[in-house]
Amino acid sequence: MTSFEVANLATYYGRTQALHDVTLPRLGAGEVLGLLGPNASGKSTLMRCLSREKRSTGRILLDAVEQQTITHTRWHEQVGSMPQAPPAPSDLMPTELMWSTARALAINLSDAELAAKIEQVFVRLGLETVALAPLHTLSGGKRQLVGLALALIREPALLLLDEPTAALDLHWRMAVLEMVREEVSRRGGIVIAALHDLDLAARYCDHIALLQHGRIVAAGSPEEVLTPAALAEVYHVEAEIHHAPDGSLRIDVLRPI
Amino acid sequence: MQDSLVKDRQMFDVFRIDETIAEHEFVNPIRVIRGEKLSHVGTERTADNRDLGKPQPVQQKRQMVRQPVCIRVCGIVNTADSALAGQTKHRLVEDLASLNLRQRIILWEVRLPDALIALAVGAALGLAGVEAQTILNNPLASPFTLGVSSAAVLGASVAIVLAPSVTFLPEAAILPALALVFALGSGMLVLAVVRFGRGARETVVLFGIALVFLCNALTAALHYIADADAIQQIVFWTFGNLTRAGWTEVWIVSACFLLLLPFSLRHVWLLTLLRGGEAHARSLGIDVSRLRTWVILRSSVLTAFAVCFVGTIGFIGLVGPHIARLLLGEDHRFLVPGAALCGALVLSLASFLSKALISGVIIPVGILTAVVGVPVLLGLLFRQRRVS
Ligand SMILES: Nc1ncnc2c1ncn2[C@@H]1O[C@H](COP(=O)(O)OP(=O)(O)OP(=O)(O)O)[C@@H](O)[C@H]1O
Ligand SMILES: [Mg+2]
Repeated sequence: MTSFEVANLATYYGRTQALHDVTLPRLGAGEVLGLLGPNASGKSTLMRCLSREKRSTGRILLDAVEQQTITHTRWHEQVGSMPQAPPAPSDLMPTELMWSTARALAINLSDAELAAKIEQVFVRLGLETVALAPLHTLSGGKRQLVGLALALIREPALLLLDEPTAALDLHWRMAVLEMVREEVSRRGGIVIAALHDLDLAARYCDHIALLQHGRIVAAGSPEEVLTPAALAEVYHVEAEIHHAPDGSLRIDVLRPI
Repeated sequence: MQDSLVKDRQMFDVFRIDETIAEHEFVNPIRVIRGEKLSHVGTERTADNRDLGKPQPVQQKRQMVRQPVCIRVCGIVNTADSALAGQTKHRLVEDLASLNLRQRIILWEVRLPDALIALAVGAALGLAGVEAQTILNNPLASPFTLGVSSAAVLGASVAIVLAPSVTFLPEAAILPALALVFALGSGMLVLAVVRFGRGARETVVLFGIALVFLCNALTAALHYIADADAIQQIVFWTFGNLTRAGWTEVWIVSACFLLLLPFSLRHVWLLTLLRGGEAHARSLGIDVSRLRTWVILRSSVLTAFAVCFVGTIGFIGLVGPHIARLLLGEDHRFLVPGAALCGALVLSLASFLSKALISGVIIPVGILTAVVGVPVLLGLLFRQRRVS
């Protein structure tokens, strides 16, 4: 069974420490962790450390295997990651990008299987209509979805999504998270997603970690973490938390303070 | 120095020399044309050569038009020419069989190396250009902007102005050897920046441009101390001239291209993926810095070998890839070989025009690459604009 643990993680940009002693809740198969925090709190930095793009100290364990003990290639066979920036607006078509990514990563699928796989991902993300349009002609939201499709192509055990819903409309920000949830619970994977939307986080995440100035200030279930006091301290907003009749959390952000 | 200047001028006048020799038959044409050892012929013929620059008598000109068998055959060998000349195969065979010894020598020792070096250099520069553009994510990146061409010019200038003697090298090989060494040296400097600048592409581009300025400044310093003849020779060299190459050069450049091509083809998926942005490539676990090191190394070596024999024809490295991009799109499976092919074709076309535009005169091909390349590129750009 998949499990993921992060303990005492620290990293630097030059001499400035960007992350201090980050420890995340232990995650099991099918679970989603939402990473919340204001701008420049270190969400993307943490994502880059977890995807091994950036060096860090501390322990990162996937399936109880220490990240540092396995090769770069082995690690990336299990980890799919989507950076905050959408794919560059080049003349490339989404299909070409997916295809070359799969082949560059030496994913073991025949041409027919790969074509079917790409089509399946595109249909689920509503990209089938733009699959053959140059990336620079795509809207910002569609381009972000292409970025997500790239991370999904490998069916990773650990999926790292840096603000996957930032550019998406009302339908797709929920549809994407629902799809991701469904996908990982089916395969027993794990998702870590940086989010700015508290409602979405409360609705789709099993755990939430709240970052501020590179430190975890709160971690736990949405009910535990998302309190008016915490939001006032971290985000400098006045907020009210309601419980909807269906049991879900509703966050009303009233004003900045 | 005087002697080599005469030599270089004669090389520009291959056509005229062919014909003159055809008429007078008093020296082995290869030795004159290849400029191998002109000293014993050249000195006596210097006055003659000066005459060649003057307008030719009408009668002689007509003869050149009437008797261009070798030119026609070579034209067919030259890829671009064949399309223009529209010669049939059967005609070619007939012509080949009817060649006499002199024409055969001109074909095998002059025209064929010319045509082949155009293909090899064009392909090498096209390949080097497309890889540099993609890996640096910069449509302006080319062998020029990486400083490799400028360093080659500097090396050539050192050879011409300071005329160093190297014991184990024949005199004729010193210029290309120095051009090659300087070009490779600048390539290694760029590579060091890629390695130790942690592969940031802006740094690489900026350093490349800085290197161009540095090499230009040093070349200018050499100009400053050089005499007029040497300066003229340097200028001739920078024009780019395919007629300098013989079979050895053809083999070296082709071998270099063919050796490196498989490595480029192995990277086509990665290069395509990189067009989706560096951030994505990195987050997918691709070691972009390492890839960049390899690609810049390949690109520099290819460029160094391509320009060291024939002078700077760097524009091909810019225009070849862009033509291929406009025709084939961004999928590097097609773009990489396509850019090499486009480079080869454009340079062949330029090489053909350089001989055919003005009868009896070879215009330096470096000048014509821009003259040919820019309209082709503009045409494609406008066509694409209209489509979209
Ligand atoms: N490449 C870099 N070099 C130096 N400092 C950096 C770099 N990238 C990020 N930082 C710094 O690290 C801190 C955390 O940045 P990070 O991008 O992780 O924030 P974030 O939480 O993702 O913010 P946002 O919500 O705006 O995306 C910031 O102070 C930022 O200035
Ligand atoms: Mg971020």
